[in-house]
Order: sequence, then structure tokens, then C-alpha cells
Amino acid sequence: MSQSPSPKPTNPETTMNPEIKRGSYAKEKGEVILREHEFDGIQEFDQKLPNWWLFTFYGGIVWFVGYWVLYYYTGIYQTDQKGIEQQLAAIQEKKDQELAATLATLDDQTLVAKWAADPSIVAAGATTYGTNCAACHAADLSATLEAGGNKVPLPGRPLNDGHWEYGGKPMEIFKLINEGTPAASAGYNGARMQAWGQVLSPKQVAELTAYLISMNPKDFGN
Amino acid sequence: MNASTARTTTITYDNRTVRQFMIASIAWGIVGMLVGVICATQLSTWEMNGHLWGFLEKITGGAFKADGVAYLTFGRLRPLHTNAVIFAFVGNMAFAGIYYSTQRLCKVRTASDLLSKIHMWGWQLIILAAAITLPAGLTRGKEYAELIWPINIAVALVWVIFGINFFWTLAKRNEPSLYVALWFYIATIVTVTMLYVVNHLSIPTSWTHSYPIFGGLQDGLVQWWYGHNAVAFFLTTPILGIMYYFLPKAANRPVYSYRLSIIHFWSLVFIYIWAGPHHLLNTSLPRWLQMLGMLFSLMLWAPSWGGMLNGLLTLRGAWAKLRSDPVIKFFAAAITFYGMATFEGPLLSIRAVNAISHYTDWTIGHVHAGALGWNGFMAAGMFYWLAPRLWKTQLWSTSWANMHFWIGLVGILLYVAAMWTAGITQGLMLGQVAEGGTTLKYEFVETLKAIQPTYVLRSVGGSFYLAGFVMCAVNIFMTARSGQATDDTVEVTVPERDHDRLRLGEVIFRKPVGYTLLGLLMMVLWFFLPKGADIAALVCALLVVAKAVSTFKREGLAWDRWHDGLLKNYLPFTILTFVAVAIGGSVQIVPSLLVNREKNVEGRLQDLYTPLELAGRDLYVSEGCYNCHSQMIRTLVPDVMRYGRAGMKDDYSHLGESLYDHPYQWGSKRTGPDLAREGGPLVTGSTEVRAGKRDNKWHWFHFMNPRWANDDSNMPCYPWLYEQKTDFKSLPEKIAVQRRLGVPFPAWTKDEIEQKARDQGMAIARSLFEGDAPVGYEPMKNASKDELLRHFSESQVVALIAYVQKLGTYHEIDKKAIPEAVPLDPDSYRKITEHAREVEQAASPSTTDGS
Repeated sequence: MSQSPSPKPTNPETTMNPEIKRGSYAKEKGEVILREHEFDGIQEFDQKLPNWWLFTFYGGIVWFVGYWVLYYYTGIYQTDQKGIEQQLAAIQEKKDQELAATLATLDDQTLVAKWAADPSIVAAGATTYGTNCAACHAADLSATLEAGGNKVPLPGRPLNDGHWEYGGKPMEIFKLINEGTPAASAGYNGARMQAWGQVLSPKQVAELTAYLISMNPKDFGN
Repeated sequence: MNASTARTTTITYDNRTVRQFMIASIAWGIVGMLVGVICATQLSTWEMNGHLWGFLEKITGGAFKADGVAYLTFGRLRPLHTNAVIFAFVGNMAFAGIYYSTQRLCKVRTASDLLSKIHMWGWQLIILAAAITLPAGLTRGKEYAELIWPINIAVALVWVIFGINFFWTLAKRNEPSLYVALWFYIATIVTVTMLYVVNHLSIPTSWTHSYPIFGGLQDGLVQWWYGHNAVAFFLTTPILGIMYYFLPKAANRPVYSYRLSIIHFWSLVFIYIWAGPHHLLNTSLPRWLQMLGMLFSLMLWAPSWGGMLNGLLTLRGAWAKLRSDPVIKFFAAAITFYGMATFEGPLLSIRAVNAISHYTDWTIGHVHAGALGWNGFMAAGMFYWLAPRLWKTQLWSTSWANMHFWIGLVGILLYVAAMWTAGITQGLMLGQVAEGGTTLKYEFVETLKAIQPTYVLRSVGGSFYLAGFVMCAVNIFMTARSGQATDDTVEVTVPERDHDRLRLGEVIFRKPVGYTLLGLLMMVLWFFLPKGADIAALVCALLVVAKAVSTFKREGLAWDRWHDGLLKNYLPFTILTFVAVAIGGSVQIVPSLLVNREKNVEGRLQDLYTPLELAGRDLYVSEGCYNCHSQMIRTLVPDVMRYGRAGMKDDYSHLGESLYDHPYQWGSKRTGPDLAREGGPLVTGSTEVRAGKRDNKWHWFHFMNPRWANDDSNMPCYPWLYEQKTDFKSLPEKIAVQRRLGVPFPAWTKDEIEQKARDQGMAIARSLFEGDAPVGYEPMKNASKDELLRHFSESQVVALIAYVQKLGTYHEIDKKAIPEAVPLDPDSYRKITEHAREVEQAASPSTTDGS
């Protein structure tokens, strides 16, 4: 019914908008076709599909076939898993180098004398401490929380009581932060600290160490 | 047909049902949007969960807690918001439009007034039930499918009643041919039935709780096949149908292109279904499914824009009305937003873009461009057009309608711009590496802090939109008051009955269907056949396409007549529509159900939950934690760096890690960090207490007040977890159901289950209250340690801690035990999979094998 020209003119009573030319007329003149049938007064043109739209439509299909073929048959793509493992291995290698480089410049003496003595380093360490450490060790290093007038203990160890469970040398503290609670230890009341070296760079760990040193001058004083 | 010889009959259309649905839509719309605004403010000000409303505690004598009201937390309200807006606001609006237009397009009154009544009141009761159960924490834990199983059954029944009423009306029609609006309604009814039933298959454990029958990957696939197509077939196709009726009516212009209607209808309903997996891009979803999800989403762009074109270009010659007629304003803007959102959708489905946008607010911005722009403005336009006709009067105030338009538009733009900014900012920040490139620059909470201003802006935008909608409600109310509710009576011609006569075979065994199905069959074979044969299938598919095109060039008119004939026969049309929508889901989901389950563990198998951990998991689901936390480390470097364990380069989530999770909890948005590796091994010397990334005490303080861990957290406090008791009694039934679903729990007796749960609860409580640094609990300040232990060993917080400490734990299983190349898994026998490579190498050590 749609494209076959109707032999007789359409009923003008059903015309919704009289100036629009109707099916057969339009077809003869090569103009836009208005379908004769109407639904509750709604009519439909039968415009050709815009070329750019068709291009998008076909383009999507061609892209689909092309991409699938490229991915599965050419071998130029890695799996996600393979790709990510390579990238992470490269990062790990770089990280190990970075740590080695940092460690090469660090010793107990430098941490105390140079790092902990530099206010900008200590300030950077304090910032890192506030973001990552204060939750368990408290902002004032006491590892307690003020709740309703009571001091409620937090999961971490106090860092201001002069007791350094895993060794009180600056480099031991660096190592502890970097690697977390040693595997052999049962932790503090079962609580274990994560390996912050995963989250923080060696420099940041060193800054943190410097911050702790500066906050406990008695423990590290010469 | 010849009008002079035709019989005529008098029809009175049922306008009452239309009015009722419309009023319901407006009322629920305000509720849904208000809840949305509250949720939005909670993200920048968590205290909006009732904490700020401390005066309520005084007024109600303590029934409301100033620490926050459990019923008003984001995790419980967000499902209420989405369900209210989708099913109550848009649902009722769509029903109003469908009931109004179907009668007129069929020239017959709706088949049954009784069914209309049951549909209308049944739907409102369902929404009411949802509004009560969701804040109460009764949920299935699947997005947009949260309602508990008794309500699911009610929804299915009411929907079927709607379907019967609709198809019965079609059967009685006095208009032989189906108008394009009706095609979209048919697709809606058929597809939503299919999606809803499959995604809600569950086994009850009680009257208010059930487990979905699918778990892990399967559940994820089914969920997003449903979730994505709820958008397609609940928020898009019915509204497109409404556009095709109300837009030409309001503009008094013919529809732009009939043939575009045909092409975009069939391509839209066929392609839409396949795009579901784009919600799981870069996850552990098998690659071939990700490929299908992404590529079909890109193919969907043109069909979607076909609808936009047919809408906007219908307005040619009527653009002048844009100035005077608010209805046209709303429609034009709505269709423009539809075009924008359906361009953005394919864009976000590109895996590289998705790597940034997924789990961020970009997605939220995208859906709101659709929901506020497309759905909300189509609704408003339709209401303003309908109200004067339903109450036989003039619109009360055109200037209020115009004001509604502008305030709504500004609201949407603010909202969407804010969410784009938030999503892109956070997405980029999360992936940014620190100096040196070996660690990430920002903590998660820093990215959350950075987007706080946009969260405020979003709340403002949403409030604007709500304000506009309230103006709409007032306007419609005043219009209704000024008029008189009337039904329309018309004289219609009864056509000679030559419609609905076609036998099914005459429709299906015809060239258009034959070529299409053959081509699709070849395409599917191309996906699944082993190497070599798949290429042959692709070549065959291309040949079928070429043959079909050449036949069409020759016999185009006959194909055209065939389609016209199809439009006069609603049942064959419906069946073909069902075939079109059923293919995508079958191809994507069935393989994972039938064949791939054992293979899809990727060398890691989830550790089974203990009874207490399972109880904790149900609490996690019930509190709606999945609304803000994912449990999926994607195969992306920043994800593994951020959430994986130190020094493990393959610590992305593997499929086997969630194999037994009913429902799966991969999540869709990270307002908080991913939790996939939150759990960890048993602590030394214990068989019941675990310590993951953080220990039990950390979680104790954190659930009590997340600001303790970090000032910038926007997570609500959960004080009620410390007061309420874990439901141990329901555990035996829950475990029995899980066993039936294939989770290999041992055959524990009821007593064993309860005892295990209590023992583990006690062990965790001891870890909190014993030792050098016991935690305190302010409300029980004077209680002895034994009293505290007794109370907390049974408390919800301990169950939840048990679950959180178990998250992501697994045991390695022998990779050699994985079956070799599996049929129905396109990845497994193609070279790209390492496993396939290994298998291949093992199978052919000699080099004679070619290739």
C-alpha cells in the first residue's frame, strides 16, 4: 500500500493539513510522499533515510565485523590479563629500583640528622601521616580516641610511648612502614599493619619516618 | 475500503484510567524525585540521613535516632529513588499514554474495564509495598530488581493483566493496521515480561528473603541483560511509542518518515538486547562478551538516533509553535536529550572510555540526562497536552508550564554538567600516578573530596527540577479543577474484517524473515564455531546479506507489502518481535549457564562463607552497601595498583572469586572504595577470626563513625548495627537454599549452623573486647566484659565484620584441572587466550601443524 500510487485522489475530509500534497500527487511530481492512511488523524511522510544516518548505521555494523576480526584473528591485541600483568611487572621493577635507590641514600644517621631536621620534609611526613596513619595511631600518636570523656584505644600501637616493638632504629621503622607488620609477628592484639610501600613511594615512607623521629626526639636523639 | 458501504459504531473511550495513571505518575514522581534530592544531599552531607534532624529525636521520644535513621541511609533510599522514578513515575506515565493512545489508534475502548482497574490499583499497591519494604532493608540486592519475591510475583501478575488487556484491545480493534506507536508498546510488553521473569528467578528462604538462582558471573550477566534493557524497554520503547502518538498530535504535522520508523524499530529492538554486557566492561567478564557488549552498543547509536530524527524532523514546519506551546517545548527538548543520551551511551561503551567513566558519576549523569531530560520532559509534555483534553478545559496556566520548562531545563543542565565534571575528575584522579610512576597519587577519599562541590551543584540542579515538577503538579491540579472529567465518545467506521487473518506460516516463511534469520544464524555460528569453521560462517553471513540485498532490490515492493500485511496481524507481529528480542540474551547468557561455569574460575575458587559470614553478607546486601562499594578489581592498572595486594601483578578479580555469590555484588558505582580484597587470612592461632586489609577493631570504629578513619568520608554511621541482633534462626533455611543452588556447603544440621555462627561471633567479639586495648561501647558503659561479649557476639556489627574480613578470599585451584577448549566460549579456542595458547602448544609440540 505504501509506495504503490493510488489511482484515485484521496478523500480531502481526512486531510490533516490541506496544503500538504498527498501520496499520488507527490509521487508523480517526485516529491515527498505522504502516506494516505492515517491513524487517529496522524499521517506519515515516507521520507528517504538521510545518508549520514545510513552511514552511521552501516558504519557501526562494519566496525563490529572489522574489530572482531582484528581482535580475534590478527593476534595484534593482548588479553587484558596478559597486558596488565606486563605493565604491573614493569611498575614493580621500577618500584624496586626506586626503593633500592632510596635505600642507598638512607641510613640511620641521615634520617635523623638530615631528613628529620628538615622542616619541609617533616611537614610532608605529617601530611601523609594525617591521611593514612591517624585513623589507627591517632593524630597525636597516642593511639587513643576521645569518646565521651574516655580514652578509647585504637587498633594501632601508640607511637609516642618510647616503645618500638619491631626495632627502634630509624631504618627499622622505615622497613616496618614499608613492609607492614612482619609476617612472623602475630600483630598487636591481632591487628596487623598493611605494607604501606604499596600505597606510598619510598620517599613518602622516608618522610613519614622523619616525621616520627621528629616527634620522638628522646628516642632518636644523639 | 469504501467508507460509504462500511458500518459505523459509537465508541466511548475510557479516559478515567488514563486520568488515574496520570495523577499517580505525578504524585509518585514528586515522591521519587524528593527521595532523589535527599539521596543527592546525603552524598555531600551524610548527616542528611536523619542525623541533622536531631529535633526529631526529641519530638518522637527517641524513636528517631540522632545518629541517623536506618531507614533513611543512602544504601536503602537509593533503591527507593530508582524504583520510584522508573516504575512509579515513568511506569504510570507510560501506562497513561498507552491507555490513551491505544484506544484511539485501535478505534476501540480498552477491552476490559475490570482489568484496567486491577492494573491501575494493583500497580499502586505494588509501589506502596516497595516504599515500605525498601527503606526497611528488605531487598534482593540487584539494581532495579530489589523488590522482594512476593512483590515480584505481584508485579508479574499485574504486568500480565496489563498485557492481556492490551492485546485483547488489539484483537478488538477497528483499525486494521497497527500504527508505529503500537509496535513499540508491543515490544515493551513482550520484552519486559521476558526480562523481569528471568532476572527475578529466586528461591525464597522466608516470606521476605530469597536468593537469586544465578550466582557470580551468571548473575551479573542476567542482571545487566535486565538492567540495561529495563532502560531500553521500560524507559525508552514505551516513551518512543508515546512520542509517535503525542508529538504529531501536538505539532499537527505528519510523522517524518514511515520507512525510518520500520528500520529503526526493528534494529532498535534487536540490537538493544545485546548491549547489556557494556555494564561489565573491563571486569572479569569474558572478553567475547565484553566485545559483544561494546560493539552492539556502538551499532545501537544509529537505531536510537532514528527515533530522535523521526521526532525532531516531525517538528519541521511546526517550529514556530516552540515559542507558544509548552507541549512542543517539552517534547523538542526531551527528544534532544534522548539524542544526547543515546550518543553518550555508545561513547561510554567504548572500553577505553568506560575505564574512566565506569564506577563514577559520569554514569549517573548519563542516566539522568535520559531520566530527567527524555522521560521527565516527555512526561511533562504529555501531561500538559492531556490534561485539557481529559478534563475538557484549558490548561490552567501556560506561563507556569513555561516556567516549569525553564527551571527544569536549568536543573537538568546543572545536574548533568555537575555529574560529568564529577565523573571525569574522579575517573582521572583515580588513575593518576604519583611522581615516579610507581604509586598512585591520590587516596580514594581525596578524589571524593575533590568532587564535593559538584555534589552540591547536583543537589541544586535536582532541586530545581523537582521545583519545576511541583509547578506541573499544581498546574495539572488547577486545570482538573477548572474542568469536568469526561470520556470521549466518537463515531468510528467498522472495517471489513481482513486483518488478523494471516496464518503464522505465511508471515514467517517469507523471504524477509528467512534471510534475516539465516543471516543471524550465520553470525551466531561465526561467534561460536571453532577456528576455520567460524570464518566460513562469516563468509556465509556476508553472502546471505548480499543475496538479501539483491533480492530486496528486485522485490522491494513485495517485501514492503509483506511488512504492511504483518502490521495488520498483531499476533505474528508480536511473535516476530519476541524472536528479535530473545536472540541477544540467549546467545550471551545461555553459554555461561550451560557450559562455561566450571571453566570460568580462572584458577581461583572462592572460599565458602561460614554461617556467620553469610549472615553478614545478607546484612551487607540489606543495607545496600553495593550501592556505593564494588567488589570487582577490573583488569586495569590503576584498579590493581589501588585495590590489589602488594607485589601481586595478577591481583585483579578472577571469576571464581565470586562463583558462589547469590546475588553477585560486583557493584556499579564507587562512592566508596572497592572491597574485593578487603578480607584476608585467619589470624595466627584462630580458626574463626580473620584479619584483612584492616583488623576487626578498625572496622568496629569505622562502622560506628567513618569520619574516625577519615574526615572526608561521606559514609553514614551505622549505630543500629551495634544494637540489633543477627538473625541466626533463619540461617539453616538460607544455607539449605544455597545448597540447592549448587553452593557446596557441607550437610550441617540446624544446631551446627547456629552453633558455628555463635562461636564465630563470640571469637570476633573477644578479639574486640579482650587483649591490651579493648574497644569501648558508650551506650553500655557500665556493662561488664561478659555482658558486652554476650551482647556483641550476637550483634549485627560482628556478623558484618565477619563478612568484610572474608571478602575476596579464595584458594588456588590447579589450572591443569580446567577443561580444554570449550564449545560456546569464543575466547577459549582462539589464539588470543593464553589458556588456549597453552592448550594448543601442549597439543601440538611439533611445528608441522601449520599456522
